[in-house]
Amino acid sequence: MEAMLKLHFADPDLYRQLEECTDTEVDEMEFGVIGFDAETIVRRYGAYESRMAGLSKDRVIGMPFFTAVAPCMNNFLVAQRFEDAAAGARPLDTVIDYVLTLRMRPVKVKLRLLVEPHRSMRYVLVNRAA
Amino acid sequence: MQAESLDVASEYEALLQFLYISPVGLAQITGEGEIVMMNPVSSQLLMPLSCDGGLNNLFTALQDFAPDLRHQVSSYRAPRGAVCDGLRVELGPFRRSERDPQVLSLTLLKLDSNRLMAVLHDITQQVKHERLLRQNEAWFNAIIIGVTDYALVSLDREGRVESWNESIGRVTGFDRSAVGKPYSLFYPDDCITSHRVTDRLSEADESGWSLDDGWRQRADGSRFWGTAMIAPLPLPHDGNGPAYCLIIRDITDKREANEHLRRATECDHLTGIANRRAFFEAADLEIARWQKAPRPLSLLMFDADHFKEINDRYGHPAGDSVLRHFSEMLTGAFRECDIVARIGGEEFAVLLPSTGTSGALAVANRLINAVAVQTVEIDGQRIRYTVSGGLASMAPEITGLAALMKRADQALYAAKGAGRNCVQSFG
Repeated sequence: MEAMLKLHFADPDLYRQLEECTDTEVDEMEFGVIGFDAETIVRRYGAYESRMAGLSKDRVIGMPFFTAVAPCMNNFLVAQRFEDAAAGARPLDTVIDYVLTLRMRPVKVKLRLLVEPHRSMRYVLVNRAA
Repeated sequence: MQAESLDVASEYEALLQFLYISPVGLAQITGEGEIVMMNPVSSQLLMPLSCDGGLNNLFTALQDFAPDLRHQVSSYRAPRGAVCDGLRVELGPFRRSERDPQVLSLTLLKLDSNRLMAVLHDITQQVKHERLLRQNEAWFNAIIIGVTDYALVSLDREGRVESWNESIGRVTGFDRSAVGKPYSLFYPDDCITSHRVTDRLSEADESGWSLDDGWRQRADGSRFWGTAMIAPLPLPHDGNGPAYCLIIRDITDKREANEHLRRATECDHLTGIANRRAFFEAADLEIARWQKAPRPLSLLMFDADHFKEINDRYGHPAGDSVLRHFSEMLTGAFRECDIVARIGGEEFAVLLPSTGTSGALAVANRLINAVAVQTVEIDGQRIRYTVSGGLASMAPEITGLAALMKRADQALYAAKGAGRNCVQSFG
C-alpha cells in the first residue's frame, strides 16, 4: 500500500508526509518538489521539477538553491521568508503566486513554502497555475 | 546518431543552466514590452515590483519606476541598436527588505522591428560607491582644482559674516556692510532657507566640512554657479572670534562641462525636471535633516486628471506635451530650493523644505488654478487639462520618506474623489 502514496500540492500536513516519502515517491508527484537544507544546499529534486526546468537531478543536487539553482527566488518574497522562519524558529506553510522562468519562458506558478522548526530540510513546491 | 543527440541534449542543458545562474537579468521582449523569454535573475529583480503577481510585460512591470520606457522604445527610429545603455532605474524607498535592490541598471538593445533584448543588473552598491566618489570630487573641486579666485569668509557661531576682507569684495562684490549678516547673503533668495543655513553648520560640525554646489549671488544681484565649503575652526580660548570658515568659488565653467552628464543622470528624459533618482536622493537627505532637527517640511504630489483620456483622444505626443507643459508650470511655481520631480507616468512630487501645511497648500492651489485656465497647443489643437494634488507635512510619527509619500498619496486620492482639479491635505 505504501507504493500508492500519492500527495497533492494542496494537501495539509505536507511537510511531514514529504519527509516520509522516498526519493522515488517524490519523483512520482505531479508537482515540483525541491528540498534544501539549512545551508540552502539542494538535497531533493523531484522528477516533475526536473522536467519543467529542463535540468537533470545531478546538475542540481548539492548546489546552493538561491544562488545556483533558483536565483529568481532570492528576494524578500521567497528567500526572506525562509530566513525569517529560520531566525524565529517558526513554522512556515504558505502559498504565493510567482513567475518562474522555466526553460527561459515566464510561467505563472503557485509556490508552496514549507519550513518546520528544528528540522533542517525546507521545501519549495511548484504548481503550474491552471 | 544517438550519441550525438545525447551530446546536443546535454549541451542544451548546460547552456540552460548557464543562463539560469547568470548573475545578470536577461529577457527578450517585443516592441510593446511583452516578455517572451527571461532568465531567473530577471524574475528575481522584477517580481517584487509586479503589481498583479505576473510578469507579462516589462514596460508594465517598470512603469512606476521608468515611465519613459515605452516612449523611448517607440521613438527609437533606427532598425537596430541600443535604445538605452545602463539606464538607471531608481526603485526608491519602497523596498521591503534590505536585500532588495534600490537601483537597477537597464540596457535595451533593439534586435529588429519586434525584438528587443533587455539586460537588468542590480547596481545598488555601485551607486552608493559613486555617491561617495562624487562627494570626493566636489571636495577636490573646492580645494585643489583651478587655483583661480576664491572668497574666504569667516563666520560666527550662528553663521553670520564675522569680518570683511578683499577676497569677499573681489568674488561677490559685497562691501563691509556684509558683516553681521547670515551667509545666505551669498545665495539667491529662493535657493536657501534659514534652516538650511543652520543644517550646513551642523553638518560641518559633525563631519569636518559641508559642501554644496549651486547658485550663488553677487551684491549686484547677478548669479554664478559656485561651490561653497564650510569648515569649523578651532574656537579660541576666550570663545570669541570666527567659528567657521566659508570658501566660495565660482565654478561656472566646470558646471557647463558637467551639465550633460548631470542631465543624463538626474533629469527626466521627457520633461527635463528631476527624475525619481534625484528626487529620492535629495528627499532622503532632507528627511535625515528633519530627523536631526525637526522643522516644517511638506510634500506635494500631483497627478494629471484623466490623463489616459488625453492620450486616447489626442495621441501620446499630445500627452507628452501636457506633461512637459505641467513640468514648466511646476518649475515656475516653486522655489529653487524645492525639489520638483517627475516620479511616475503622470505623477509629480515636490518637496518643500521649511514650509508648513498652509504655505504649501497656498502654492499648490495657486498652481492648479493657473493650470486650469491654460491651454496647451499641439498641431493646431488647444488642449485644456487639470491636475489634482495631495499634501502631507512631516510629523514625528512619520518614520521616513515612504510613509510621508503614502500620506501625500492618500490625500491625492481624496482630491481625485472630491472631483479632481483640487488639492487636499492629509488627515
